[in-house]
Amino acid sequence: MRRRAFLRRAGAGGATALLAGCVSRDAVPATEGGTDTGTGDGAGTDGATTGTTESGPTTLQVATYAPFVDAPSSSPGPWLKEQFESEFDATIEWQTPDTEINYFIERASRGVAVDADVYVGLDTDALIRVDEKLSEDLFVPAELSNAGNVKPGLQFDPQGRAIPFDTGYISLVYDENQAVAPETFDGLLAEEFAGDLITQNPQSSATGRAFLLHTIAAMGEDGYLDYWRRLVDNDVRILGSWSDAYAAYSEGEAPMVVSYSTDQVFANAEGQDLSKHQIRFLNDQGYANPEGMALFADADAPEVGRQFMDFMLRPAVQGEIAVRNVAFPATEDADVPADFAQYAKEPPEPVTFGYDELKGNVSEWVDAWSREVAQK
Amino acid sequence: MRTATDWLERRALTLVAGATALVLLVVFYYPVATVFVDAVYAEGRFSLAAFREILTSEFYLVDIFWFTAKQAAYSTIASVLLGLPGAYLLARYDFPGRKTLRSLTILPFVMPSIMVAIGFVATFGANGTLNSLLAALGLPRVELLFTLEAIIVAHAFYNAPLVTRVTTAAWESVDARTVETARSLGAGPLRAFWDVVAPQLRPAILIGATLTFVFTFASFPIVLALGGVQLATVEVFIYSKVRSLEYADAAALATIETAISLGLTYAYLRYEARTSGAGEGAHPLPRRSLVPDDWSLRALAVRTGIAGYAGVVLLVFVGPIASMILASVTGGDGGLTTANYEFLVERQATGTSAQVRPLPAIRNSLVFALGTLVVALPMGVALSVLTTRRFRGRAAIDALTMAPLAVSGIVVGLGLLRGLVFGLEIGAYRIRVTGAVAVVAAHAVGAYPFVVRNVAPLLDALDDRLVESARSLGASRVRALLDVELPLVAPGVVAGAAFAVAISIGEFDSTVILATGSEWYTMPVALERYIGRRLGPATAMGVVLLVVTSLSFVVVDRFGGRWGRL
Repeated sequence: MRRRAFLRRAGAGGATALLAGCVSRDAVPATEGGTDTGTGDGAGTDGATTGTTESGPTTLQVATYAPFVDAPSSSPGPWLKEQFESEFDATIEWQTPDTEINYFIERASRGVAVDADVYVGLDTDALIRVDEKLSEDLFVPAELSNAGNVKPGLQFDPQGRAIPFDTGYISLVYDENQAVAPETFDGLLAEEFAGDLITQNPQSSATGRAFLLHTIAAMGEDGYLDYWRRLVDNDVRILGSWSDAYAAYSEGEAPMVVSYSTDQVFANAEGQDLSKHQIRFLNDQGYANPEGMALFADADAPEVGRQFMDFMLRPAVQGEIAVRNVAFPATEDADVPADFAQYAKEPPEPVTFGYDELKGNVSEWVDAWSREVAQK
Repeated sequence: MRTATDWLERRALTLVAGATALVLLVVFYYPVATVFVDAVYAEGRFSLAAFREILTSEFYLVDIFWFTAKQAAYSTIASVLLGLPGAYLLARYDFPGRKTLRSLTILPFVMPSIMVAIGFVATFGANGTLNSLLAALGLPRVELLFTLEAIIVAHAFYNAPLVTRVTTAAWESVDARTVETARSLGAGPLRAFWDVVAPQLRPAILIGATLTFVFTFASFPIVLALGGVQLATVEVFIYSKVRSLEYADAAALATIETAISLGLTYAYLRYEARTSGAGEGAHPLPRRSLVPDDWSLRALAVRTGIAGYAGVVLLVFVGPIASMILASVTGGDGGLTTANYEFLVERQATGTSAQVRPLPAIRNSLVFALGTLVVALPMGVALSVLTTRRFRGRAAIDALTMAPLAVSGIVVGLGLLRGLVFGLEIGAYRIRVTGAVAVVAAHAVGAYPFVVRNVAPLLDALDDRLVESARSLGASRVRALLDVELPLVAPGVVAGAAFAVAISIGEFDSTVILATGSEWYTMPVALERYIGRRLGPATAMGVVLLVVTSLSFVVVDRFGGRWGRL
């Protein structure tokens, strides 16, 4: 059901002036595939031209999380846009709604047209939310010529809609001048590490959630709550967001923090002492958090969307995404620069929960965890 | 033409009040209702299951709600204790820089939580300023972070300035002649204070305390940044439920949270409605010099107290802010660096369309602040006049107008997304409200209650005969308000204006929803975007926010001061 195909923005001329003319009107035109005259409502509220216009390049609306286009270190977004546009007759417009995928779930469940073609940055969790909350398909599978190069271990969508384009690993980062991190999860419970670990709240932070899931993988569904009770007794600090935790770690508040295994890439770029940025993979494992991209079911430019997704999986582009997003490539044949592996550490054994293991479980796990930990 | 202006002037109050009601309906009550309805209505059925689950859960009742109320009560006491001496100092003493200091008191109010967290860790952390001081003095170190105490101090950092500002405005409106009368009848200075001044300050102190409780009851990011999940408040769970799209639970939690906040506000307003004065204002008490003319024992004791208080202020307020500024010029290797500011300059020069640049963020923040001021001041003043009238149910109406303060910001944000960004489908049309105007409207809705709470008690305390004589000389109600009453309560109006600017500049939840896309982002939004996986650039943006905000407050105060001859 392609609602947007027969919804047309009447534009500034047709806007009624309530509250000084910031009210837009969607009139139903007689013809299909009209054009929009954007009035600057911003992400996700102003679609672009459909793929049926005679003149000019097609506009591809790509929605993603803000750091993908706007992080202070480096973001793949601007580079991808430039490269893609130089080769294809298309213009990429990035959308970065604050609530990320939830924004589109909310739109779809409220019966408002989804004005985007591709979403970049889905993880397993997000995909499960999409499937649990919406009865109709938000995404559809896309046939890609490069899809076969994706590492099998990273595939997380049984229905093949979300294609991985990179992955991060969650690990401990520690300051070896203060303490040498233990090698196992059990080691964290030792007296000598009392108050030494800072992690994040799984309810509000991706790294915190990955760490919680890793403890469930290591301790089992029956053992993880007990493990956390003992971690709390050993004064683990569970802060709200990655930035809260990392700020406290940087100030020397504790010698260990849960973060990304690419931590040294940033530390090296800033000329920091790498002894304060040692990586520890507990139990020799790192929790993999693959990120996928998917084509919206009612994309206006599905063909260009597929071209873009295929482009994202090219060896050269995979290498650039890895460097600029500071994450590991998703494909076997990525052209990663030789010195990338020097600072970006890969775990001996990646661990992750698949779609089916998480579905129906993850919200209960997190809920039970919060009741265990937030007891006063 | 003349008659038309007359007609407008006569009806101005009613018109502004009507417009206020309309704005409230469009950008607050309707959007928020779309969320609250989820608490009882899901999948086409009416159900109280979500409420039942919360109200029968010991975890939610004891570990979450009771704990949240407890920490809010402690935070309120700390904020009042820390805020009142500041009001005394600013209202009763004269010293160089007093006006600037008064302008800056409200600065902590707009600090983004990540900045406060960084500042607090640097000040109160294991290796922080406080512990270095204690170590230098040979005293034992304190473990303050990740405790309830840390949250309370951080809440005092945010809210004591609010208490100070509201109380200062009331103190500056005390009619000096009432004190002189008491003194001439033989009351000592303390007795005169207790019997004459304190009753005139009580409403201001109580509203400061009430607002502080409401805010700290719904506090969220700072609790997790400095306390941790072990000290989670109800707002943490609302956020979590919204994020995982469990709307029924989120709405039920938020409904209970709002009911508690509004109930408390209503109780306060009932109390306020029963007290009323007959002062004439605008004869402020003369200020004393900080350096006394003769060092009597009493003067010495008071000055010692002030010096001690200054030390506490240095530690709690100046310390964290100075640490934030220091963090912005400290590199990864601990040395001084300008890299973070270079990032801002570079982003400004080379930022692409999807990237957030600093200058537009500053410009947008200022535009919204000015817009909020222009909208919220008339809204607040009109409602203040209306609420000073005596009528049945006044406190209830008053509480309803205060509702924007009591509803969780997360819920308001979700409501704005559903109600305004998605809009309402009517036939073939979809009515949407987004962009700059919507942001200003949302900010004004958050700001006008502060104008009301700063102005209404002072208006209430004025002698009715002032207005009556102006009216009998032929002035319209609005003319009397503008020419007679408002100048007399100028301190309150200016304080309200400063709050309006502060609310607008600091607002994040609604702004980020309504200003989607690449055009209308503000300084707090830019700061959030600059966090990424390095904290440096965000601290530089935080300092930019500090500087721009400080200048705005000084301008508002100076401009208002000229008008009110403060």
